Amino acid sequence: MSSNRQVDPMFNRRAIMAAGGGALLFGGLIARLFQLQILNREKYQLAAADNSVKLELAPPQRGQILDRFGRSLASHRRAGRISVVPEQSGDLSAVLQKISQYIDLPRERQDRILSQARRQAAFQPVIVARELSYEDFARMSLRAPQMPGVLVEMASTRSYPRGRDFAHVLGYVSRASNDYIFREAFNTLNSSRDRKLDEALAKEFSGIRMSRQLRQDFFLTHPDEAGLLRAFHDTYGDVATLLKHRDMRAGRSGIELRAEAYLRGKSGFRRLETNAAGRIIRELPSEDLAPVPGRDLYLTVDAELQKFAIDRFGGESGAAVVLDIDTGDLLAFVSTPAFDPNDFVNGISQADYDKLRFSDRYPLYHKAYDGTYPPGSTFKMVVATAALEAGIIDPEERVHCNGRYHFGNNTWHCWRRQGHGSVNMHSAIKGSCDVYFYEIARRMGIETLAETAKEFGFGQSWDLGLTGGRQGVVPNNAWKLEAQGEPWYEGETLNIGIGQGQLSATPLQLAVMTARIAAEGRLINPQIIGIGPKPGADIPGDKPLDRARMQRMKAGMFGVTSEAGGTALRAGDLGLGGPRLAGKTGTAQVRRISAAERRSGILKGEEIDRRLRDHALFVAYAPHDDPKYAISVIVEHGEGGSRTAAPIARDILAEALRQDSRRAPNYVQTAALAPGRSGGGGS
Amino acid sequence: MAGSLNFRSRTRVQDLGRLPWGLILLISAMALIGVAILYSATYTNPREADLPMKQAVRLGAAFIVMLAVALVPLKVWFQMAWPAYVSTFFLLICVELFGVTGGGAQRWLQVGPIAIQPSEFMKVALTLALAAYYHKRWRDESGGFLLHVPALGLICLPAILIFKQPDFGTTLALFASGGILLFLAGLYKRIILSVIVLGVGSIPLVYSFVLQDYQRERVDTFVAQLTGQSVNLIDDGYQIEQAKIAIGSGGLTGKGYMEGTQAQLDYIPEQHTDFILTVLAEEFGFLATTGVLLIWALILALGLMIALRTTSLFGRFVAAGAVATVAFYILFNIAMVLGLLPVVGVPLPLLSYGGTVMITVATSFGLVCSVHLAKDDPLQAL
Repeated sequence: MSSNRQVDPMFNRRAIMAAGGGALLFGGLIARLFQLQILNREKYQLAAADNSVKLELAPPQRGQILDRFGRSLASHRRAGRISVVPEQSGDLSAVLQKISQYIDLPRERQDRILSQARRQAAFQPVIVARELSYEDFARMSLRAPQMPGVLVEMASTRSYPRGRDFAHVLGYVSRASNDYIFREAFNTLNSSRDRKLDEALAKEFSGIRMSRQLRQDFFLTHPDEAGLLRAFHDTYGDVATLLKHRDMRAGRSGIELRAEAYLRGKSGFRRLETNAAGRIIRELPSEDLAPVPGRDLYLTVDAELQKFAIDRFGGESGAAVVLDIDTGDLLAFVSTPAFDPNDFVNGISQADYDKLRFSDRYPLYHKAYDGTYPPGSTFKMVVATAALEAGIIDPEERVHCNGRYHFGNNTWHCWRRQGHGSVNMHSAIKGSCDVYFYEIARRMGIETLAETAKEFGFGQSWDLGLTGGRQGVVPNNAWKLEAQGEPWYEGETLNIGIGQGQLSATPLQLAVMTARIAAEGRLINPQIIGIGPKPGADIPGDKPLDRARMQRMKAGMFGVTSEAGGTALRAGDLGLGGPRLAGKTGTAQVRRISAAERRSGILKGEEIDRRLRDHALFVAYAPHDDPKYAISVIVEHGEGGSRTAAPIARDILAEALRQDSRRAPNYVQTAALAPGRSGGGGS
Repeated sequence: MAGSLNFRSRTRVQDLGRLPWGLILLISAMALIGVAILYSATYTNPREADLPMKQAVRLGAAFIVMLAVALVPLKVWFQMAWPAYVSTFFLLICVELFGVTGGGAQRWLQVGPIAIQPSEFMKVALTLALAAYYHKRWRDESGGFLLHVPALGLICLPAILIFKQPDFGTTLALFASGGILLFLAGLYKRIILSVIVLGVGSIPLVYSFVLQDYQRERVDTFVAQLTGQSVNLIDDGYQIEQAKIAIGSGGLTGKGYMEGTQAQLDYIPEQHTDFILTVLAEEFGFLATTGVLLIWALILALGLMIALRTTSLFGRFVAAGAVATVAFYILFNIAMVLGLLPVVGVPLPLLSYGGTVMITVATSFGLVCSVHLAKDDPLQAL
């Protein structure tokens, strides 16, 4: 005890000193905490936010494409999607196995995903499944947190709610190819600079997979172009970053391609909260960085009329073009059969694509715009007009038709074997007398005929703002010399006189021709874009036509459908009580009929292979006394214009009249709100 | 031994009632806070989901160990002081010779299925040995310098072995708690001052010749971040920077339980072990960090009070040494997390996940309680 007593005071003193020291240290720590947590709070709070927030490229929402009444033709659909980032997921095939326990994921699909994953960087997500059903989406959302690297998200996909109806007009979007990215980057750069980068050089530069060093070397070896190349490199990088985004699609054909810049919009960013491993935890508000959506594009078409027309064709292949005579608005622009553009958005399989490519009905082909056919007898109004313009015949002059026409050493035949007897211009059109048109074609010669045909719009194409558009052929001597190295033979003129031979025209041209006749010679420029990037006004080769002559043609066309001896008498009645239609039938010969066959009796359609059967054509306008709509219809291998094409044309016209398809479009008001843009279709 | 049993006039159950329950309650509260914070620190990571439960089970076991240690009479601890020190020292030599290497250091002894870490036991054994030494020697000598030379030896011998493993944290802990005991035993202030001066002066030498490469890097990083230079943000520098961001962004009241972005998004390596304070700081703010520091200060103060109220020198030194050991861990860990000391693997007692330090803390406070039960026993019979 006593020894302790000696020690106690010192121990106590020193213990209290030590405690004091400890208290000082505790105080120091609290002071440090105060400094970090109170004084520097804002700095660290910013750092914490910075830390966990990443900016991710947000592709813009593509503009919609709508019909004249605002019905959606191309839009976007949000659907659940699963993607995997191989870098985060580990063994991809094991992950796919695991996912296949929850959703249907066949072996082949897994293999395809694996091979795709091998072709891209490990940090890029591969898409495992899209368009998830609600159940699959819910099930996977529940499991994903336990599966590293697996993302279940909603994604926006381009969708074409009317499927095949507008396939050729709209075209489609798909993932951009490297070529596409190059082209866009190249054009973007060159359009913004005075000095242009040489395309071959740019191609060479972007063609090689370049390390930084190689790139620098390339700049060094092209000192004059180094600045431009550098700028191109940056532009290419920007374009590629956006276009290679998994949600980004670019227009590949049709309006989607031509109006790409208008529809695309501008990309933005999303703020994402990520953990230290880079895994996305949630999305934070990012309105200030939001992408700018693309603009909506309005077409002049009436989607319901389009659908009606396609349905009316049934299984036939062909084309139909309906024009508003006053404005030139295309109300229906049909090519059937068609493909479903939805199949292309996420890439179509080779097998499906081949099926489309090798079909004998050519679904990939835009028959109304790119298809060129001999117009057959629908061309006879042009021939008659040319004869009047040339003054080589009086409309009342009579020509005798006995079914045959001799010229040189050859004989040409009228479609009516027994002949039409004595015909003047009116009855020749009405009865489609070939002999009459052989005669006047021969009298005027090919050059006169070709000139008038061009005044009608044949041999030229209208840029509607779509891809494609063919001119067809209006042959003459110069053309033949160039195309075939031979001079024109007079006998060929006779074939052109009945719309056959080398002559070819698109259904669009036929519709414009019909509209111009119905409008008594007024110029008509067809258009399909109501609001959107309108193609520059090209200088059309067609000219205003003489009104009195056009009235004569109208009378002839009325005769076709409404007078005794007309070739399409049955198609004249629209079934609407009062108004009738006026039109002209046509049959485009696909094969040459041999003299032997003619002697033994021409084969009936059913006896010939479908590919060799004649095309059936019909052009018309309605109502006959106050024309509003013009139409051209071609039924491929449909045999007789009056039998197959005319009823289709009649029903479409009747539907247009019933529905009043040409009534003022919805976008007229919208156009008024957007000054500076050239006005819509309304006049 | 028979004598010691005879000395006891009270039953163990009565002892249980006389335990310093206020202290024990505070310790238990701290342990519960630890489990709650650990839950928040680990819950986003599926691989760590079972850690809070494991920790809770271990805490329960540690609690029983603490009570068991407390109920062993102080006299028995006194008798076991030397054997414990000698055998632990022997084990340290065994580690040096046959130890298992893990995590770049040779710290463990594999005995059948159990891996033991003798350096952990040494902290308690050293306290017991020093206490026993001073208890006996105070009667013979008047407290000259020579009195402290053997004590210094008791500290340095195991410290050198542990440093060689290498285990820098435990070495420091031994020097810190041993040094405190020497100071309490009356080592001249002049000597203490000169040792401190010498120690600080030898830092460049230690840095150049003693430290391993990875330790040098840590010191470099530490100096860089302390002086505001840009640090290598990949390894240690990253950890300290992220820790500061977590703590600083907590502000006064924090972001809310399980709402800390730094913590929940795994930005801080070791956030559930050595850097657990960052989670508390981020989610509950300055009020909570200060609160936890104050509770710890209170626990340590209560322990020190027991030391001051005890009759026997052995008891006084044991309690003071135990308090000093725990205090070292707390101060060092927090200073490290706050970027005031280099990152050396020192956990935060009762809050950090992990079993090793828990044993040290449990036996230390068990000893404090045992001292409390024997506070009026002069231990003169021995």
